[in-house]
Amino acid sequence: MLFSLIESSRSALASIIAHGLRSFLTTLGIVIGVASVIAVISVTQGMSSFIGDTFASLGSNSLTIQSYTPFEDQMKGIRARLTPEDMELIERRAEGIASITPVLFANRASQIKFGSQTAFSRIMGTTYAFQDVSQSYMSLGRFIAQSDNLTRRRVVIIGDKVRENLNMPDNPVNEYVDIGGEWFKIVGLMEAKGEIMGQSQDDIVLMPYNTMRSLQGNQARTDIQIQLSLSESAVLENVTAQLTTLLRNAHDLDSDEDDDFQIQTAEQLMETFDTVINMVTIVIGGIVSISLLVGGIGIMNIMLVSVTERTREIGICKAIGAKRHHILMQFLIEALLLSLLGGLIGLAIGYGLGTLISSSIPSFPPASIPLWSVALALGFSGFVGVLFGILPAAKAANLDPIDALRYE
Amino acid sequence: MALIELNGVTKYYEMGDQVVKALDGIDIDVEKNDYLAFIGSSGSGKSTMLNILGCLDKPSSGQYHLNGKNVESLDANELSEIRNLEIGFIFQSFNLLPRATALGNVMQPLVYRSIGHRKRKEMAMESLERVGLGDRVDHLPNQLSGGQRQRVAIARALVTHPSILLADEPTGNLDSQTTIEIMQLFDELHAEGHTLIVVTHEDEIAQHCRRVVEMKDGRVFNDSTTSSAAVTS
Repeated sequence: MLFSLIESSRSALASIIAHGLRSFLTTLGIVIGVASVIAVISVTQGMSSFIGDTFASLGSNSLTIQSYTPFEDQMKGIRARLTPEDMELIERRAEGIASITPVLFANRASQIKFGSQTAFSRIMGTTYAFQDVSQSYMSLGRFIAQSDNLTRRRVVIIGDKVRENLNMPDNPVNEYVDIGGEWFKIVGLMEAKGEIMGQSQDDIVLMPYNTMRSLQGNQARTDIQIQLSLSESAVLENVTAQLTTLLRNAHDLDSDEDDDFQIQTAEQLMETFDTVINMVTIVIGGIVSISLLVGGIGIMNIMLVSVTERTREIGICKAIGAKRHHILMQFLIEALLLSLLGGLIGLAIGYGLGTLISSSIPSFPPASIPLWSVALALGFSGFVGVLFGILPAAKAANLDPIDALRYE
Repeated sequence: MALIELNGVTKYYEMGDQVVKALDGIDIDVEKNDYLAFIGSSGSGKSTMLNILGCLDKPSSGQYHLNGKNVESLDANELSEIRNLEIGFIFQSFNLLPRATALGNVMQPLVYRSIGHRKRKEMAMESLERVGLGDRVDHLPNQLSGGQRQRVAIARALVTHPSILLADEPTGNLDSQTTIEIMQLFDELHAEGHTLIVVTHEDEIAQHCRRVVEMKDGRVFNDSTTSSAAVTS
């Protein structure tokens, strides 16, 4: 068996090489199919594994609660809010929470000045607990302290990107910046976190929550975000359910009204991204596997032509002692080799294409090919080869030696 | 026991609603080391005879024993095996594999016997040297002359050490000089102890044979044995 397998591969390879151009054109359908599958998978998987890494660094047991207003309500001028009172309520009543912090965003991108340099950045007011919740670490200086908050001290922590944008020295601690006409002292520099989806995580300025509120003039309509981290033993679902109940009661929502807030976990966010990416992979993968099918039909077509063309040869082989399985094997292996070669070429092209795409789009994650996709591509093209090779091979094997020898 | 025994062998073909009797009751024995020619006009049944003898086809009725084995009971794969083991074919149109070298062509029957590459090559070289083509082994069929191609085909037939060599109009596509050379080779092979059966319509070819069977309308018309093969000039 093994012997005839080797012999068949030998003669199949010889025949593929003898018809070089034809073999290449035959297998082109498979090449294109596999190349597009691999290109799509490598790009989306690269993106997915990158997003996974990024979210893992965000801390998987942290929660973000923010107000949520449906679009129709926004049009009516209604705005849902989360208030400092909501947070106090959660702090007091909810169980399983390790640390909790309000986050207050500036209404618009704020101008920051340092010397003659001006930059825009996202400014957030928060408390010392933010460090814990968001897994931020300081590379220089200190984080916001509780006393900063209580005394509304005018201090800020900046991200590395801000330091860069403002042309600050490597150690910006104890420098002063101008934010909205007020002077703030820099007390810490955060460790760089990199980018998520092309957005820098380091273009950020943190100041004490109460300082921020006082700057905004203690508006009554403050809408805050609440970030919290769970204690080790807490179960995410339980905490989420508890928070929902608390907030619904606090907001006086009837049972038929929707939540006017959203509770998001980093994991949830990641899952959402993953779902989207997997959908894209499946849909595009499905579309391009049609081209594999077409490629398979192309191979069958050429194999049938080849059987007809070599009818006399088959007759000769049978006359000198070839059995049915010798002929079957030879043509089947030829079809299999054709499509596997196509698969391999497609794999190389697809990987090259994927790398090209990801590197030509700035800040796009590098392409990555999971092993399963390689196995899938080769397995599928092999399957196509066998599937569409059987008919021509059986036709060849069943030829009558006398008729075949007489064939002109 | 004779090498080949045919008892009441018939072969019918259906052509539309007509039945054509290609062979109509053949009884014939062929001994080992016989040198036999089937002659006859076209349509006399000699090609069918060759197909039956070569195990390419099975008789409609009657019995064919080759080397003591009843061919009738064998299926397609077993017939292939018999052809591989017992029969060496030599065709009018040579029937070489066009994309294989002379050596590759001669090695091919041994592939179906699961003989390893090195051993195959050794046996094929020996066979090619026997027919005088030891220096042409790497040539493709279309790089060889007609006589050389037929020598490759003879080498391919010999390489399996078959019981019988079956030649179908072996010189039909060759010029007269090459014909003489090929027939000389046949005479030598007979002298070496091979059993040769030649199908031909040329009397000159038949004259080389020890026994001439003339066929007509699917029957044996005349079966004559000369005391010794004609000596070629």
